[in-house]
Amino acid sequence: MTKLLDKPFKAFTIYALIILLISIPIYFLVVDWIWVSEIDDHNLLTKNRVEDKLSKVQISDEELQLLLNTWNVLEPGSSIKELAKSRSKEDSTYEVTKFDEYQNETDRFRGLKGVIYIKGEPYLYAIEANVEESYETMFAIGLVTAVLYGLLVVGFITLNKSIAKQIWLPFDHTLSQLKSFDLKSSEGIHFEPCEIEEFEELNETVEKLILQNISIYKQQKSFIANASHELQTPIALLKSKLDLLFQNENLNEAQSELIQSIQIPLGRLTRVNKNLLLLAKIESSHFEDREQLDFAKILKNSLHFLGDYIEEKNLEFKQEIQSDQAVTSSRFLMETLVNNLLSNMIRHTASGGKIHVKLLEGRLIFSNSGLGALQKEFLFKRFAISTTETTSSGLGLAIVKEICLVNGWEIHYNFENFHHIFSIEL
Amino acid sequence: MKILVIEDEKELALDIVSYLGDLNYRCETAHDFATAKEKINLYKYDCILLDLMLPGGDGMSLLEILRAQNKQDGVIIISAKNALEDKIKGLTIGADDYLAKPFHHSELAARIHSVIRRKQFDPSNLLIQKEISIDLLSKVVKVAEHTVTLTKKEYDLLLFFIGNKNRVLSKSALAEHLSGDLADMFDSHDFVYAHVKNLKKKLNEVSYGGYLKTIYGTGYKWEL
Repeated sequence: MTKLLDKPFKAFTIYALIILLISIPIYFLVVDWIWVSEIDDHNLLTKNRVEDKLSKVQISDEELQLLLNTWNVLEPGSSIKELAKSRSKEDSTYEVTKFDEYQNETDRFRGLKGVIYIKGEPYLYAIEANVEESYETMFAIGLVTAVLYGLLVVGFITLNKSIAKQIWLPFDHTLSQLKSFDLKSSEGIHFEPCEIEEFEELNETVEKLILQNISIYKQQKSFIANASHELQTPIALLKSKLDLLFQNENLNEAQSELIQSIQIPLGRLTRVNKNLLLLAKIESSHFEDREQLDFAKILKNSLHFLGDYIEEKNLEFKQEIQSDQAVTSSRFLMETLVNNLLSNMIRHTASGGKIHVKLLEGRLIFSNSGLGALQKEFLFKRFAISTTETTSSGLGLAIVKEICLVNGWEIHYNFENFHHIFSIEL
Repeated sequence: MKILVIEDEKELALDIVSYLGDLNYRCETAHDFATAKEKINLYKYDCILLDLMLPGGDGMSLLEILRAQNKQDGVIIISAKNALEDKIKGLTIGADDYLAKPFHHSELAARIHSVIRRKQFDPSNLLIQKEISIDLLSKVVKVAEHTVTLTKKEYDLLLFFIGNKNRVLSKSALAEHLSGDLADMFDSHDFVYAHVKNLKKKLNEVSYGGYLKTIYGTGYKWEL
């Protein structure tokens, strides 16, 4: 994942690099062109001045010859030589690279050859001027460009950082508020007003969205509670009618067994309904009471009711209460948690298996023997039934999870050594 | 024995009356707050079954009226709300028991039996049925002159049977009586067989009247 500002930064940097790279030959061409045409102008000017000066001096032919000889020896880079009359009068410019003995290196020269007239006689005037070597120009421009590019990138990074810090401040605020948002708290989020239009719009939209969600969540919650409440009377009637039917003296064995087998799904219906109501109650913070509970006592009480089922399946039950620390919770919720986990373990442990309940310092562990690990991600979800067994309401562990949440505990599931382990961090 | 069934769901009230009628209780019904209040003021009942949600008022205030008049009628709250605070409040105000809906009629009958027994001023606290006598305080069961040693669950079952004589009791009703509402977390209640079998065996050893009958392997009956 890249950060939002790094994306344009990268693009900008690459774009700047391309432009600067292209600029190097362009600069070079421009500079070289200016350079060359200036020197050509200069050469032409020099030629004209020399012609003008020499044509104005009043000297004899011998003296002229002497002057020209001296010129050709002393004047560096230029020469005046006699010309046959038939040669062209056009000026010509040329470029040459040759070894310069004074600089002790090969150099580039720009030259001009043209005809000048002294005393009516044509002379070939040649002048050469040193031009900067092209690779030297190129190197200089390249160096400058590289330095500028460096400055550009450093500038980009610094600006990017400082702008990011300021600009994204309201966004970070929004994000942290959203992260800590809990739909169950049923309180909306209020964002602080900010100057940036886009963020302000984002905040408004998110606020609206959250309010909508809260209202839908509330509706759904009360729907579940109302629906299960409405189901209570028909369930009670069903149970009642079945009881009366069972008293009928004319029942034969098959009918009697049929009635008995209706009791089982009816029991499950009752449990699902009760659990749905219980979940709704826990979620609406119905059990806010807290007290210090003696875990051993609660476990004993639960075993009083569940002991028969443990014996029936011939399970080996072990309890280990190392810590005498009290568990702080609503009594009802703690009892429900223990009952749900214990009955779950009893149901899912194969006959002859083991069940182990431990209370250590700050940790409550329920474990039972099993063959394979359960799917962690579905375990605590509602109605995500991982077995084909019919008595499960599909809500037992969801309730356990909810109780842990209410009490600020964390529950983890692990499968180790052929044991399912539910551990609760108190 | 006179019982007032205060329950707004008429069908359920009728079923209760039907079941209890066969146990020789005389039942009256009230389906709303006003009728219930009137009956409470006019008559005396051995036990009142009180639904909390009534048309015209809260069942809890009926309980308050009753206790304010210092009447000693036994009261069992039967509520669909199954709310802990209702239970605590009801028992504090002076209800004798609390039963959450849905319930088995046999469970209700056993509770009524127990409430009425407690209300009767019998200093010996002896429950006697034919040759069986049960001391409710010391929980000692005797058949003729022989003391029968029962486990807590066998003792509970015996009282449950006596409170539901001549009624067919399903296995799930017995399991619910022994395990409370945790029973519906399981679909096998085979342990009930074992407890009933043991109870039967112990009673047979002291040759009681053989009242405990098995009905088709699906239920039991205490037949007198």
